[in-house]
Amino acid sequence: METIRNLNFLDALLPMAMIIFIIGMGVILLNQHFQKNLTAQKLQQEALKAVHQNDLLRSSIFAQEEERKRIAQDLHDELGSIISIMRMHLMIMEGQSAGDSESAVPTGDAPTLVGLQNVRRLSDNALASIRSISHQLMPPQLESFGLTDTLKTLVGPIGKAGGLSIDIGDPESTRDLSWIINLALYRIIMELINNTIRHAGAGEVTISIHRDNRYVICHYKDDGKGLPEKYGGKGLGHKSIEGRVRALEGLLEMGNGPAGGFSAIIRIPLDAK
Amino acid sequence: MNFPETIIILSHVPILLTVGYAAMLYKRLDADLKVFSWFLFLSGLIQFVSLYFWFHRWNNMPLLHLYTALGLLSLAWFYQKVLNGFISVWIIGSVTALFILFTVVNSLFIQPIMTFNSNALTIESVLITILSLFTFTFLLNDSVRQSGGHDITSLSWINSGLFIYYSSGLLIFYFGATFTRTFSSHLNQYTWILHSFFSMVMYTCFFIGLWKRSET
Repeated sequence: METIRNLNFLDALLPMAMIIFIIGMGVILLNQHFQKNLTAQKLQQEALKAVHQNDLLRSSIFAQEEERKRIAQDLHDELGSIISIMRMHLMIMEGQSAGDSESAVPTGDAPTLVGLQNVRRLSDNALASIRSISHQLMPPQLESFGLTDTLKTLVGPIGKAGGLSIDIGDPESTRDLSWIINLALYRIIMELINNTIRHAGAGEVTISIHRDNRYVICHYKDDGKGLPEKYGGKGLGHKSIEGRVRALEGLLEMGNGPAGGFSAIIRIPLDAK
Repeated sequence: MNFPETIIILSHVPILLTVGYAAMLYKRLDADLKVFSWFLFLSGLIQFVSLYFWFHRWNNMPLLHLYTALGLLSLAWFYQKVLNGFISVWIIGSVTALFILFTVVNSLFIQPIMTFNSNALTIESVLITILSLFTFTFLLNDSVRQSGGHDITSLSWINSGLFIYYSSGLLIFYFGATFTRTFSSHLNQYTWILHSFFSMVMYTCFFIGLWKRSET
């Protein structure tokens, strides 16, 4: 019987063990390389997903704003005009009715006059409501006078009604901001003021808006009771603020200030589209 | 014709069937399997030319030298295609280039083309075993399965065939030169019967892989 005489441990088995070791190491290294690439691919996919979600959010916010603008315009221009004409006719009828009641041969009577006056007052209220609703939906001053002036005009009465003193900084920093940034900041600030009035029990609100090379930065501060200690869940208002900031690829910090009260810092890129 | 010779000839039947089947399906195969078919065509061509040489008692070792280099090249291309995006091209590419360089050096200076190229075959087996073992883990990964870019069943069968042949053949290739030197040609034939068995298993796996391919 033929046998392998020339084989010994050093010649054959040691290299064989080495080969098996190389195979094992090769598989492990390939696997590590694969895991690294897989993680990178997953991160890339997540980033793409986040971009896609932001795009969706932005489109939905823009669509909502466009719709608000359209409704505000329709309310103001169409329904407002109709009620204005109605009011004008009512005033004429009121005048005629008042004249008739003073004439020698009366054609009208006092109850008709009172009724006309009531309807005219109601139409005044309707006009005021339409103006208020359409301005809340889309303040016309925002495009014409900028963010700071619009806020000053609108939040003054709101603050007085809620017993608040609202201080808004210099209008220069918001002078030439794009409409979309102005609108986002306007909505965010209105939401924050609304929250302060409803929940904070604050006496004073300070809003300052300034900008650096990349961002327009809004500091919002009140002297109320601040966020509750275990404020984990976010209300609709906060979610809406977060959504608007995220849609413009901005940054949002919210919490309680060092001296108490609520504090928020909103950074929106100047080139946000 | 004795028993070992009959077995060696019969081992070419699965090769013929698989290569014929791949040629028949070629136009309908997906990109991965098309690349793999090129390995099958190359392998089929060299195996049958080598059988022809064997019948005429001519030395067919030069064909084995050629097959070792081109075989790894086509299999590396196939694995690169399958692992694309997950394993860098330069890893498989540079290993293949180094291997081709080694086979040339080996054939010119270490194991001349008329002798058995055990060194190159051993290294080829090591490389294919590494790639096939890794491909098993790759094909089991959920992300790869969910990506839907691969015909997992088909590739698993093909990869199994390559793993079985190259890991089992590793010992034969590694000790090949020693066997040829030490044993009589009669006993050597029994070594090659074992090799033929591994080869039959591999081509059967390839056939099943092509047969179970996804039609979508």
